[in-house]
Amino acid sequence: MRRLIPRSPWAALIVAFWVLLLAFPFVSDDAFYQNMIILSLVFAIGASGLNIISGYGGYVSLGQSAFLGVGAYTVGLLAVRIDASPFVWVPLAGVMGALFAVGLGLVALRTRGHAFVIITIAFLLLMQLVIINWPSFTKGTAGLSLPLAQWDPAYLNWPFYYSLAALLALAVLLSWRIRRTKLGMGLIAMREDEDKAATVGISTPTYKMIGFVASAVPLSMAGGVYAYYLNFIDPRGMFDIVTSVQIILSVLLGGRATLWGPVLGAFIIEPLNEVANQQLGGGNSRLLIFGGLMALVVLFMPQGIVPFVRDVLDRRRRRGEEAIVGARLERPLVMREREEAPVGHDVAEGRNLLEVKGLEKRFGGVRAVDGCSFAVPEGSITALIGPNGSGKTTVFNLVDGTMRPNAGEVWFDGERIDGLRPWRRAHLGIGRTFQITRLFRDMTVLENVVAPLRSFSWGQLNADAVSGPEAERAEELLEFVGMRRYRDQKAAALSYGQQKLVELAQVLMLEPKLILLDEPAGGINPTAIERMGEMIRQLNRQGTTFLIVEHNMPFVLGLCDPVLVLARGQTIAEGAPDIVQQDPRVLDAYLGEDFVLEEVRA
Amino acid sequence: MTEFVQTIILGLLIGGVYALLASGLTLIFGVMNVINVAHGVFLILAAFVAYSLWSATGIDPLLTIAITTPAMFAFGWVLYTGTIRRIRTAGPAASVLLTFSLALVLEGVMGLVWGNTSHAIRPAYFNQSFTIGDLFLPKAQVYGGLVAVGVLIALYVFLARTWAGRAIRASAVNPSAAQLVGVNVAAVATMTFAIGVATTGAGGSIVGVLYPFLPGSHYVWISRLLGIIVLGGMGSLPGAVVGAVLMGVGETLTTTYVSPAWTTAVPYVIIFLVLMFRPQGLMGARLREDVAI
Repeated sequence: MRRLIPRSPWAALIVAFWVLLLAFPFVSDDAFYQNMIILSLVFAIGASGLNIISGYGGYVSLGQSAFLGVGAYTVGLLAVRIDASPFVWVPLAGVMGALFAVGLGLVALRTRGHAFVIITIAFLLLMQLVIINWPSFTKGTAGLSLPLAQWDPAYLNWPFYYSLAALLALAVLLSWRIRRTKLGMGLIAMREDEDKAATVGISTPTYKMIGFVASAVPLSMAGGVYAYYLNFIDPRGMFDIVTSVQIILSVLLGGRATLWGPVLGAFIIEPLNEVANQQLGGGNSRLLIFGGLMALVVLFMPQGIVPFVRDVLDRRRRRGEEAIVGARLERPLVMREREEAPVGHDVAEGRNLLEVKGLEKRFGGVRAVDGCSFAVPEGSITALIGPNGSGKTTVFNLVDGTMRPNAGEVWFDGERIDGLRPWRRAHLGIGRTFQITRLFRDMTVLENVVAPLRSFSWGQLNADAVSGPEAERAEELLEFVGMRRYRDQKAAALSYGQQKLVELAQVLMLEPKLILLDEPAGGINPTAIERMGEMIRQLNRQGTTFLIVEHNMPFVLGLCDPVLVLARGQTIAEGAPDIVQQDPRVLDAYLGEDFVLEEVRA
Repeated sequence: MTEFVQTIILGLLIGGVYALLASGLTLIFGVMNVINVAHGVFLILAAFVAYSLWSATGIDPLLTIAITTPAMFAFGWVLYTGTIRRIRTAGPAASVLLTFSLALVLEGVMGLVWGNTSHAIRPAYFNQSFTIGDLFLPKAQVYGGLVAVGVLIALYVFLARTWAGRAIRASAVNPSAAQLVGVNVAAVATMTFAIGVATTGAGGSIVGVLYPFLPGSHYVWISRLLGIIVLGGMGSLPGAVVGAVLMGVGETLTTTYVSPAWTTAVPYVIIFLVLMFRPQGLMGARLREDVAI
């Protein structure tokens, strides 16, 4: 794991920050600076929260300030109706924030990338519009005046100041904890490759939803305190898209996916906001400054301050160290026996582990898979071959749940699975590698192997990202594929062949009953191909069934039995390798003259 | 009944204007996978330019498209080569944030140049209407809608009939294949962005006549245009036209039968509903390459 809080000078800086922050009101009663710090705290809370879903999870939101507004209006609407200290309502502001986050999450469940950003903009502007257009409840554009603080004026703004400081501590703690749990690791995996994350057992919608809630609650609570502090709220001020920009900018400038970057960013951006408002008259200059600054950050410093500084320091420290390159593959060791024998796994002869019946998948007018049926006997190494475009990878996508079929059934281990989501299939025991490797590029090799989840439970979300036994198991698997030396390298730094090996280890972490390999021998050197074959045989001897798509015929014919042949989305032949090799239909499919086949069939 | 027919006709006319603007936005997305969040700001900028031309010379504001369209083409070209080109491969977050920051800067610039007050272009025929039976059709809306449809047809002919147009469509469908058959995809991207922005030139001249505007109006416009391309299917040109017409009619119906205050909510609601139930939109196809659950 990457350390988020480097020891010394960093730790010293952070301690100094908190000491200064907490001591400031005792040292100075300058209202201008207290106000600036209070607003910085609000931004920092928002940025720390946004960092959870945007920094870790990769979902960029331009609507985050809506949660500030939700919190502010929750407290405001209650405070003008019920005579109690508005502080009482702050926890409720958090609850409302959570509810709206769940609502937004439900709407955005099927969206990502561009569509997600669009939804967040629409969410923010719609919230603003509803507040404006519902004056009987919200007083519309006229805004709400909250009661003045009741405490002794000698305390000044201390209650606001310290409650926001406490909320910031809470937000940072939340972010810290999430980064260290399965939840955080799952979010990062989703940022790197969401579909892949689902195939290794990560229940992505749940993770996404909890990420949304975690990113919204602290800001909503801060919004409640902020409303009370301002004494007056209106829809344009509370649901301001420029505030969203400032929150994002805090995250980007400080460094996304770091713990302290967003806080640092907020304490830079807010003072700038004050300068824009006080000295430059706000309005247009605020737009110019923050628009311009965001353009500069996106173009020239996308990684942010904290990672930039860390990289510089790292490079200085690493100078002279030898890099691991071109190391020879280590010999594979014998795999440890499974801890728990999979239920009903006594390799009965003739029992089919996977059965596909009449599977169909259309893309517009193209029938990629067209009534495909086949079975994979338990304990076998089955090959799925066929010309390019015959639908092999689409079949894989239908079996592992990445795509839903238009018709047909998929049965696995006696259970019909074609309605199940990918992570459920992974939990049942289907593992899958990709034709073009899809590792989580920004994670280390070890993290990649630990990331898969064999089941889902709510407690799991709060479990340590990498537990001791998991790390041990992952190291064994890396040893098995000969990649242990690379455990702390970033996956993106590996060669293509090495990535194939790590992806195999990753899938093995699921302890799957069936492994789908998409071109395991594609694009790697002959020695590695041979080793790949050895490993497959060894795993197979220990009880794992394989379904392999491959174009390397000597590899397939030497390793697999039976062989299934796919052409035009249908299985046209199956049987032992030597029989399939002779089959005229197979030769036709490979050598062309498809039209003859068509005519015969018609 | 007359009211209903009139509402539908007005919706269709404004739908033509939307279709022109949304085609530019969806074209940019289709070719470059970049959502130009600054499209609304470009539109308002063009409206301000048309306003200045009209108030300085008194020419018919709809004729200013002869100036605003090439001006916005050039502006788009410069902006693309100066900024957006650098982050083309950096993923959706970077391009959205960059175009949004450009939008904020331009909003600020317009505020400094023209002020943050509402402006309106009022040609002599502004208060006149065509009367057909019981129907009253404001001349400005009729002219505006027809000019927009004219420019839109010109754009479609260009895309369908010229080599450059085919290169743009090829790059949208499959950039690497287009590259292989000799299309300079990088140059096509620049041209596409410029053409997409040019639609805001013509659109701005027309919109300036039809609606009052101020620098901050761009939020409403970008929401509406995003709603249209989400509804039609992002990247689909026919989808943009269908989405635009539906949006135009939906908005005028809401204005007439619900309340003008809620008209602005129509795009947001459409965005939510489409992305929840049919994320690929009406005309967007899901291809083999789009692995989506």
